[in-house]
Amino acid sequence: MYKNVYKYDEMKRKEHMAVRENVGWYLWTHQLIEVTGDDASAFLDELFTKPIATIKVGKERYTTMLDEKGEIIDDVVVFRMGEQKYWISTLFATYMQAWMEKHRGDYRVVYENITPQYHMYAVQGPKSRDMVNALVEKPVDDLKFFSFEENKAGDLKVMVNRAGFTGEKLGYEIYVAADQADTMEEKLRAAGEPFGAVEVTEFQVMAWTLPTEAGFYYMRDLRHANPLEVGLDKGIDWDKEFIGKEALLQVREQGPAREMLGFTVDEADIYIQSRHLGGPGEHVIVDGEDIGRVVKLVYGYVKDTNIGYILVKKGVLKPGDHIKLHGFDAVVTEKYFL
Amino acid sequence: MSKKIDERLPKDTGKKVRESYAAIRSPWDKLISYKDAMHYVSRYNSVLSAACMQALRILVPDYKERAQYMCEAAYQRLYYIQTNYGAYAMDQHNVHPFCRGSFVGALTGDAGDEGLLMCGRVQDFGTYRAEKELDVCDWDIVGSELCRATTQSLEASSTAWSEKLRPGTKLEFHMVEARGCGDRHCRIVAESRDKYPMPAHEQWECFGPVATEDQIKYTQEEDTVKESMVFREECDYTFSNGTNMEQDDSSVSEMMSHSNAACLYIFPTIDYLLRQGKLEEKTVDHVLRCVCEAAGKAAFGEYYAKEAQRAWLGVPAGLEDGRLMGGHIEMFLQAFGVPYETEAFNSEEVIYVIDRGKLTCHAAKMGDAYVAYWYGMTRTLVNAQWFLWEEKEKVSEDKLRIKIARKIDKFC
Repeated sequence: MYKNVYKYDEMKRKEHMAVRENVGWYLWTHQLIEVTGDDASAFLDELFTKPIATIKVGKERYTTMLDEKGEIIDDVVVFRMGEQKYWISTLFATYMQAWMEKHRGDYRVVYENITPQYHMYAVQGPKSRDMVNALVEKPVDDLKFFSFEENKAGDLKVMVNRAGFTGEKLGYEIYVAADQADTMEEKLRAAGEPFGAVEVTEFQVMAWTLPTEAGFYYMRDLRHANPLEVGLDKGIDWDKEFIGKEALLQVREQGPAREMLGFTVDEADIYIQSRHLGGPGEHVIVDGEDIGRVVKLVYGYVKDTNIGYILVKKGVLKPGDHIKLHGFDAVVTEKYFL
Repeated sequence: MSKKIDERLPKDTGKKVRESYAAIRSPWDKLISYKDAMHYVSRYNSVLSAACMQALRILVPDYKERAQYMCEAAYQRLYYIQTNYGAYAMDQHNVHPFCRGSFVGALTGDAGDEGLLMCGRVQDFGTYRAEKELDVCDWDIVGSELCRATTQSLEASSTAWSEKLRPGTKLEFHMVEARGCGDRHCRIVAESRDKYPMPAHEQWECFGPVATEDQIKYTQEEDTVKESMVFREECDYTFSNGTNMEQDDSSVSEMMSHSNAACLYIFPTIDYLLRQGKLEEKTVDHVLRCVCEAAGKAAFGEYYAKEAQRAWLGVPAGLEDGRLMGGHIEMFLQAFGVPYETEAFNSEEVIYVIDRGKLTCHAAKMGDAYVAYWYGMTRTLVNAQWFLWEEKEKVSEDKLRIKIARKIDKFC
């Protein structure tokens, strides 16, 4: 009982460490909303906190989307596909479309969920460039981070995007027509073989352990928090209007009430409830005061210890502090474990 | 004196799903909160389901045979439903398109549990293993065959969902602890046999053992919960799962209105056996009536049970007629969200016309079970001069017209 579901699992470790030390690939299809129309830029500028109209064609930007209370309701990547054509990569397309519908007003825009048309494969890790170059016709050596371009993998038309959710310096995401996914997987398997590539199959590795080591968020972590609390305020365009700005300005003026910090727990076989599995998460109690909750608890294979995030009252804790989480010794850290 | 204010439900709890949102109301204006109403209807239907299970036990005496039939019926039904209608549910549960394999189906079990007030927590959620632990289960009195069947329905849903995604590994679901069997928790552990090989077993044997017993996260008594997230302040009265799905308290009424053990598992099994010719309808009807009548009589056979019922309904002192039973039925129908009309409510007779489909969740024999159950209750809650029966003449098929009155029946 309580045996760590990550630490001793050689399959998860192998998949995780392949990305860190060599190269791993996996199905990483997100939902895509295509937004077009004369007012597409202006419309998206109102929806998102970061500037959208300034994104160059062939580039993309990570941004949050807020509700009127200034709370994050989605974090997405916006691709500029053309002058007034964007793709929004999300995992919550139904909510996104409802939100767009609510705020469309007089904007001349059309949006469509094009998710069924594409699958996307992540190729991540130090040897990912070599593997992608072995897969595609046109070398991707000059492709900059958060840039994408069309390419070919044999007969398949693909779009290669230099990006990832792993924190790796080198990583690519390859879009392919959905009905070509079987062929694409064959090609990836073949291209990866000479490099010792590993197919990542475990949801927990692709969605939790790899991103958490790098300090990245999954939307569950951000729910009911504002960007200043979770450190996603960098790059917000305060000079433009966006939904939630008024509330967020107040937060900025008063200072955020909470902050997201990291923590580690060295003891291997632990029981600490965490919000990433649903529910409220374990209490964080300091000097008898309940100051927050455990938002995430996974495993950091690089440091070989339990790692996670806590969302707590601002200013109470600092990296290096020792706390108890459900009776287990934990050390507060920065939210980065590489 | 402490100024502490104990946890209180928001005043608008249940607003979305009940006209008089804070309460259901007895004929004597006794008000019951939405939360209590949900707990009431949950246990009420569980008790009736336990009676219906006894009927099935008489009809199919062998445990293994009965459990296997229940598992087959549950699997087939849920697989059909989720194959045909699962896409919407997957979207609601935020099943991401990069997921592959049947582990995603664990999400529907988790949300469904919470909606049915079977509160607990997810302990693991991954491609090759998932674990869910429940602290509360109102169905824990129905019978362990039911636990097996619910496990199979979860496996069926999960398999059907996975078929809408890129191919991946299939999980085998086991209920390794069951409150109905005396365990502290109910616990489902789902494992991929690709990763965790185990000997093959028959379908009904979905009760473990599992390969990853050492990974189980057992919540100690002091850390268990009694309420679903939608009724807990610490959760902001919101259910949330790991894929960022959120639901408010209306989800409980929604689940309650079409999910109880009898209509989801027991009657479909009886139908399944009738279709195969393994049971005779006449025998089924006879056994069902006998068992449910007896269960109803037992409910108020004890003097204190009747007194408690009077307090629950706020019955005026001295009132001792069919309205007692009428009040009982009205409270249940309101809690269950079943529309009904009151044709008569006086000291001589009480007549209700009830929406049959809503009451029975479209399980035909469920209506017969309620009538037999309420008949039995009437004989002890009021007294043996009083009867309850269904009146079928000039009543459309979608309605159940019941009458409570005195009569003499030499063959009762």
